[in-house]
Amino acid sequence: MNFTKYLTSGLLACGMTLVSNVSFAACATDSLPNSLAGPNGFPERALTMIVPYGPAGGSGQVAQAMAQAVTELTEVSINRDHKPGGSGTVGMTAYMALPSDGYSVLEHIDDASSAHALDSSKPNPASDLIPLVISQITFSQIFIRTNEDRFTDWNSFVEWVKAQNGKATIANVSKEGSMERVTMKAISDATGISIQQISFDKGAPRYGALAGGQVDALFEQPGDVRKFLDAGTFKPILTILPEAPSAFPDVPALSDAGLDFEPLYRFRGFYVHKDAPADRVEWLQWAFQKAYCEQSYQDFNKSKFMHLIESFRDTEGARSLISTTIDQYRNVYKEMGLDVK
Amino acid sequence: MDTLNNFINGTIALFGDPLGVLIFFGGVIGGMLFGAIPGVSMLTLAAILLPFTAHLSPEHGIMLFSVIYCTGVYGGAITAILFNIPGSPENAPTAFDGYPMTQKGQAGKAVGAAVMCSAIGGTVSAVIMMIATAPIASWAISAFGPPEIFALVFFGLAVASSVGARTFWKGWLSILLGLLIAVVGLDPVGGIERWDFGMPYLLAGIHFIPTILGFFAVSEVLIQVEKKAKGSYKAPKLSVDFPSLAELFSQKIAVIRSIIIGFFCGILPGIGATLAAFMGYNEAVRWSKDRKEFGTGKMEGVVSSETANNAATGAAMIPLLALGLPGGALTAMMVGVFQMHDMEPGPLVFLNSADLVWVVFSAMFFANLSILLIGYLETKTIINLLRIPFQFLAPLILLLATVGAYAVRGLPIDIVVMFVAGIVGFFLRRSGYSVAGIVLGLILGRIGEQTFAQAMQMLHFEWLGFISRPIALTLIIAGILTLFSSIYSSFFKKPT
Repeated sequence: MNFTKYLTSGLLACGMTLVSNVSFAACATDSLPNSLAGPNGFPERALTMIVPYGPAGGSGQVAQAMAQAVTELTEVSINRDHKPGGSGTVGMTAYMALPSDGYSVLEHIDDASSAHALDSSKPNPASDLIPLVISQITFSQIFIRTNEDRFTDWNSFVEWVKAQNGKATIANVSKEGSMERVTMKAISDATGISIQQISFDKGAPRYGALAGGQVDALFEQPGDVRKFLDAGTFKPILTILPEAPSAFPDVPALSDAGLDFEPLYRFRGFYVHKDAPADRVEWLQWAFQKAYCEQSYQDFNKSKFMHLIESFRDTEGARSLISTTIDQYRNVYKEMGLDVK
Repeated sequence: MDTLNNFINGTIALFGDPLGVLIFFGGVIGGMLFGAIPGVSMLTLAAILLPFTAHLSPEHGIMLFSVIYCTGVYGGAITAILFNIPGSPENAPTAFDGYPMTQKGQAGKAVGAAVMCSAIGGTVSAVIMMIATAPIASWAISAFGPPEIFALVFFGLAVASSVGARTFWKGWLSILLGLLIAVVGLDPVGGIERWDFGMPYLLAGIHFIPTILGFFAVSEVLIQVEKKAKGSYKAPKLSVDFPSLAELFSQKIAVIRSIIIGFFCGILPGIGATLAAFMGYNEAVRWSKDRKEFGTGKMEGVVSSETANNAATGAAMIPLLALGLPGGALTAMMVGVFQMHDMEPGPLVFLNSADLVWVVFSAMFFANLSILLIGYLETKTIINLLRIPFQFLAPLILLLATVGAYAVRGLPIDIVVMFVAGIVGFFLRRSGYSVAGIVLGLILGRIGEQTFAQAMQMLHFEWLGFISRPIALTLIIAGILTLFSSIYSSFFKKPT
């Protein structure tokens, strides 16, 4: 079975719910009660949120926004404890060592799913933890400089890259098994291009590399480079979604570009220990899911282009997304010849 | 003229607003205090304040962070000089000569030099920032890619081999040990797990703050304890004398050189004040006729390090404001402050929020100047901590260092790393190896490995690709020449 068929078969179920060009008039958790008393006075003290990344990046920002929204809703304080390192491994390990009393929650991204897919001894976020909510799901795009004159759109970019015989470059976070590397392999297979991926683990040097002409293109999520889009410095030439979303109607999506694979998504969410008391978990589920619809959080998500596709998943929806993602990654890793444990 | 008018307007806006003045001085003092406490750095203060900035105006929020940045970089110099505990990594080179100066009874001069040069470096950097933000930012990101940054790191390591070690070879062994420590954890490009011994915490690598605290503070306490046991301990002579104007003027070349180096390092995204301080110090050593005196209490070492790290502060604002590219963790948090107010740093800020930009520029200018006044008062008071008898001071230093090591990530393993580094550092220092070299290898090793891998990817794994990039080629040739010159000296020149 070829690589793109794996991708096509894998995430279709959840992908279909991530339909673009949909307007979401009501918020996903409007039907939940506006208040819910905690069991036996829970929580009696501030919650702790373990964040496995630094405060300034995308994860740090979503943790801050969600903590603020939960506090606005419940008046319960949340202390954020950043434990960066090891692509989220350090924070996950630190969290698993904390008591399962419901007073600590974990923020994590899809890296936890891909890490489990590659090595099943690492925690599975869908079964070793209870997802409270997934509050950000986004797609990726390929960007070039707006003043680029060697190519101006996706088709001319593909032609130019082919003419470079593997010398063209794209900046991304191309760690082994990452969403970026897997997606770039799918694009390369589908178009026949060969492009050198340059891995930058921090955003600023990555964006600087494109702005300064050190690389030819950039693989990124639109919310992370919004300022460059608003300033007219970068422009997207390919949206890695089946259909073009409303904010980027003129940018070809996968179907427009004739690319037949199902995209992988970047998602961020919040979790609690699976052994935490059930009644406390229930309250946390309510608090985090209801906080998703707080105005401050919705404004935050909108500022990050997180409103273009449905970003919300409740516990079951999150489990489904994570499980499907893990299966998809695992199939792709085997196809790539990686050592899947 | 426009620049001057804008600066005056920014100054009026800053000091014409009582709340703005309050926030300005709060930031100045808070930055200095948090910068001085190891582990609990200016980043900690910034992270605590970040949510509260939502309740401030954008001008006040961004101004507060920029002021904390200026004074926080300076704050760590005090503990580096007095107790060999760098408050932040960018103050580590300050301890190389600052602490020996304290031991020689010149604490006042060392702190005074740090105060003066931090203020000069930061102020000049702020002025350049005001004059030429946009063109400098564009030039820096175009001219300096991973190959050039790797070449810069290589050059820095070649120069550093002569810092603090008894011989050239021990200097290089120290640096190689640092480079070896730097490879623990996930590799920075492919994410491959290395040297973690099955411990998830080691996947994040050996953090340099506990390492610095161990090699500097803990090993120093052990050395002093040994002296105490042998009866050879001498308490540092207390001195609150500031350096004279003549002494400061004699450092003019070092100051100018470090301003250039610091500014240059500051404008490179992701590099910042730490590399600036090390490079500033290294270049001082390289150009000095008295290289052997570095590490023994030479004022030029303090001057070079502190000028360079503060010169990097204004420079780091250039890619942030002009391009939206934060140079380090604190400037990245500033992006968060902008976003809380529905703004994004970048070219549009100058068009849409010129008033805000000039309030920030003015605040940074005056924050650097205020280091002079507050630093002077601080010098006259904090130095008195040296009056504390060693038997009380030593546990206090160990306690402070332990808190600092733990506070970085909240991981107990960092305390273990600190004490192991302290014990190893104790024996290495006795044997003439350089703990400064180890720390330098650790910090530059991370940057160097990452940029080398990126450079090789960009150059399609062709070594000769470096030749096609003039800046990278120049730096590599300079590094090789420095290396051979040191080797030649180690074989053919008699020790002085």
